[in-house]
Order: sequence, then structure tokens, then C-alpha cells
Amino acid sequence: MKSPHRKYEIRCPIHGFIEVNDWERAIIDQPAFQRLRRIRQLAWTDHIYPGAVHTRFEHSLGVMHTASLLFDAIVKNSTEVLRSDLAYNDDGLRRDRQLVRLAALLHDVGHGPFSHAAEELLPNRDDKADKYKHEHYSAAVVRVKLRPAIEDHELNANYGFHAEEVAALLEGSSQARQRLFWRELIDGQMDADRMDYLLRDAYHAGVQYGRFDLHRLINTVCAIPAGGDESGAAPRLGILEGGVHSAEGLVLARYFMFTQVYFHKTRVAFDIHLRGALKELLPNGIFPKPAELDEYLNWDDWRVLGMIAAGGGGEHGRRLATRSHFRKIYHTPEVTTRPDLKKLDRVRKAIGPMLAAEESAVKSWYKTDKTDIPVLGQARKLAPLSSHSPVLASLKKNNQTLLYAKPEDAENARQRAEEALRKS
Amino acid sequence: MMDLDRVALIGYLAAHHPAGWIGRTALMKVCYFLQVLRDVPLGYSFSLYSYGPFDSAVLSDLGTAETLGVINEAPLPTGYGYKVESAVSDDDLNELASDFLSRYRTDFDWAIREFATSPVSDLELESTIVYVDREASDANGSLSEDELVQQVRDVKPQFSVQKIRGHVQVLKPKGFLEALI
Repeated sequence: MKSPHRKYEIRCPIHGFIEVNDWERAIIDQPAFQRLRRIRQLAWTDHIYPGAVHTRFEHSLGVMHTASLLFDAIVKNSTEVLRSDLAYNDDGLRRDRQLVRLAALLHDVGHGPFSHAAEELLPNRDDKADKYKHEHYSAAVVRVKLRPAIEDHELNANYGFHAEEVAALLEGSSQARQRLFWRELIDGQMDADRMDYLLRDAYHAGVQYGRFDLHRLINTVCAIPAGGDESGAAPRLGILEGGVHSAEGLVLARYFMFTQVYFHKTRVAFDIHLRGALKELLPNGIFPKPAELDEYLNWDDWRVLGMIAAGGGGEHGRRLATRSHFRKIYHTPEVTTRPDLKKLDRVRKAIGPMLAAEESAVKSWYKTDKTDIPVLGQARKLAPLSSHSPVLASLKKNNQTLLYAKPEDAENARQRAEEALRKS
Repeated sequence: MMDLDRVALIGYLAAHHPAGWIGRTALMKVCYFLQVLRDVPLGYSFSLYSYGPFDSAVLSDLGTAETLGVINEAPLPTGYGYKVESAVSDDDLNELASDFLSRYRTDFDWAIREFATSPVSDLELESTIVYVDREASDANGSLSEDELVQQVRDVKPQFSVQKIRGHVQVLKPKGFLEALI
């Protein structure tokens, strides 16, 4: 008879062997998780970097592995903080390590086809000013589809987990209680998701930009103590001073990957077409809400590609099928200033109806933000990473805008843009 | 296109803060309060962390504001944190987002008066109280004061029950809590 305590190893091109227990394997075997094999991590990026055909499936395993390494390092470096500020004992840590592993494994199960490319087509949240995000769908999948696999496995007798605990950690709900501290490992400034996708995307794309010293960074991750009732903020994730340069490497890796891969002009063009095609293919041009989960989960890359191959998706579908994608005809500098915005406006007006699409780096899911990583220095002095790093202190956010025209209009539109700029 | 409304908001908050600058945490929490308590349509998607409601899009907008020369930001010389200062005039801000600013200026001034000068730990605590309250009201539920205090304490065990209760009692008469009975 198969032992529930058996461990399995899965080969990973980034981390070597990833170990999973029987419980995790049973979850991985669920159709809702296997669906991730049919969702490409980087949508149509393989049309620029042919190796980039990897999926959310292998990334999710990598995030679980990385989150475990981070968890163990924090416990090693900050046992006292965890015990005093968050009231952990050994059993609590053992339990929450497993919870973090499950949340990391399942953080992306709610992704729609082609990952972030079509996230704009998620519906508005009821009575809210914002849209659903894939994290809301991941939490719904955990609550509905994966509940039996999470709650009924023999190994759960040791933990007594409810699926709700995993979902609360994923979507950031107060039901996660003090375990919200660990949410930064799943979705934060220095999370396992980011660490894994930078290394994995760089590896598959065949570029070196996403590399950084993962293991040095992990060794220096710690819990920053809470400030207490009067003076202080909550305990949070940070690094020891020895990790400054590896954290700097992580931020720079993200910056370079953004400019070279995620916001590559042709990749962005394919995202525009994927979005346009999906708008045609989806009922009412929008994905079903998390409450209509079965309907939502039926959408994956295979289904969309099949519909496009059969002639669906309108003009955008046709452009994808024939590689007749929009052409970039103008871009602002990577660091766009207010005078550059005025130039952009002149170019827009000059191009007129030939302007087929406009994309801004600040709207990209992969956009870079003002990273805020606390560094615990000598004498327990706390300072932001940028105060240790002149490089990061002077790093400006990429706010580039790209303008596109149809291939048949591209030459004409470029000429008009150049004329408008010459006149100014 | 860039969201110049949100960039202009950041510039406005930095320029009109009584201290002459605003910190990152205050900026994050003021954006949360404006969206939730005053229905200013900022389009942020806040979720809960141990340090309160957070959306990385606010930090992204902060970066855009810096790149566009609307604000300057530097680490504080002592302690942990960042100082966000305005780098433009009100006329420059109006050039970016005049309609938005004129429509919501009263709300922005309200948020500065009400919250922006509070200590960071109070902002983290009060925004967490409002977040927990709204989770309950979104689910058509209600909370007694004891339940609300306990749920907040479960998230932020570093605060005493008395401290949390004190802040609930400040927020309640102002009508900021919907689920509290």
C-alpha cells in the first residue's frame, strides 16, 4: 500500500529537484492544477524568444520550492522575532510552513489564458471601483475545486487545514490572521513568485538579464521586528545587511527583464492582438466572474488557439494566425518626462486614425515599482534598500509609451510622426 | 495611457501636507481611505497585509510621479522611511489633471486633515480596522465592537486590545465603520 509519507521529486531546470509530499502531489494531480500545463507563462513571447514556451505549471512548482527556502531562512535568521511578535512555537511554524507551501503552489491556479495578456478582460468586482484579479480566481479555485484535495488527505490529519486558510492567504483577507506576515513570500516586494519567474523566464527566453544570486538572497532574508503598541509598524519581511547586493541584483534583474523581454515591442503587439481576439471570442467580451468558475476554467490557451485556428477572433485573431501584427511606429524614452509627453501628444495628433494602439509601460502587469525592502543593519538599525544602494537610489521608473499602426499603415504613420517632431 | 490623475493626486498630497512632505506609508493609507471612505474612483486594488491595506500600484504611480518630475523622493536621514516632496507648482499639477483635481480637491484636503499627519502605526491600525469592517459589510454581515477588535488583533497581535478599541471608538462616531453595530 502506498504510504502517505512518501516523498516525490520533480526535475526543474531552475532548482534541480523539487520535492513534493503525497498530499501536494494529490493536489497537483487535480484537473484545476493540471490546467496550468495549458497556460503559457509568457503568452506569445516565443514569437520573439522561441524558447519561451514554458507554462504556469512548472512556475508554480518553482514558487512552492522557493517559498519553502525563504520560510526556512526566516525561521533560521529570526526565530526570536517570530516567537515574540507573532507568538509562534515549533508546531505553529511547522504548520504554517505547510500552509505557505500550499499557497505558493496554488497562487496561479486562477490564471486565464495566456497569463497576464488578457487580464484586462476580467470583469469588474461587484460594487467596487476595481476589477477582479487572477488572485481572486485562484482563491475561488482553492475554495471550490481543490477543497476536498486539501482537506481530506490523510496527511491533513496532522494539520487540520481548511481550504479557506489557503484562500485567505492568497487574496489577502483578515481570515488569514497573523499569518498575513507570510503573504509577502507569495505576493510582495521580494516574493518567491518574482524570484522564480525572473530566473525561469530568463532561462527559457535564453537571456541573462533575469539572473541574480538567489541563494545568497535567501540566506539573508529575515523578519523585521514589530515596533510595539505605541511606536511601531507590523513585523515584516526584510533582509540582513549582507544581502544588500543580492537584493540589488533582484531589482536590477527585474528592470532589465522588463525592458528586454516583458515590454519588448513585438511581444506587446502580440498581447494587443491576444486581448483583441479574446474580446471577440468571450461572451460579451469579458471573462466569467469567479462565481461562474467552471465556465471560467474552461478557458485556456488550447481552447483559444483552437478557436483562432478555426478563423475566430476577428481581425486580431487573423493577425495572430498570419503574424501580421501591428508595428511600433513611435516610442517615448524609457524615462519619459513631461516635455516628452507633449511630444507624444503631437505625434498622436499627426498620426490620427492610423494610430491602431497605444501601450504604456506603467499599465503593464510586469511594471516596475518603487521597491521597498527594509534592511536590518548593524546595531539592528533599519534602513530602506535604496539608502544602501546608490544604483537603486538613482534608478527611475520606466514609463515608456509605445504607439502602433497596422503594418499597411506603418511607413506612412512613421513619416507623419517624424514630420511632427521636426516641426516642433 | 498613463494614469495622470493618480500621479497628480500624489503630487497634490505631497505639496499640501502640512509638513511639506508625505511619507510612503501615509501616501498608501490616504489613497486607501480616499477610495473606500470617500468613493474617489482611483481604481486601486487593495488587499490586506500584516501592515494594513496595500496595493503595489500606488508605488508604481509614485515611481511615475518621480520620473515625470512631479515629486522627489529620498530615504529619511534617520529611521526607516521615505520622504516624498512636491517638485512642481499647483499650476503644473492642473496641467496634468485639472478636471480630476477640481472635482476631488475637497476630498484630498479632507484626507490630509483627517489622516495624513497621524503616526505610521496609527495609519496601519486604522486602515486595518476599516478593511476588516468593509470585509464584513461586503459580505452583508455585521460586527460587534468586541468582534471587530478581536479580528483586528488577530491580524495585528503587536497592538493591545485597549489600543485597537481606542481607535475603533475614534472611527465609529465619524461614520467610517459600516458593519459595526
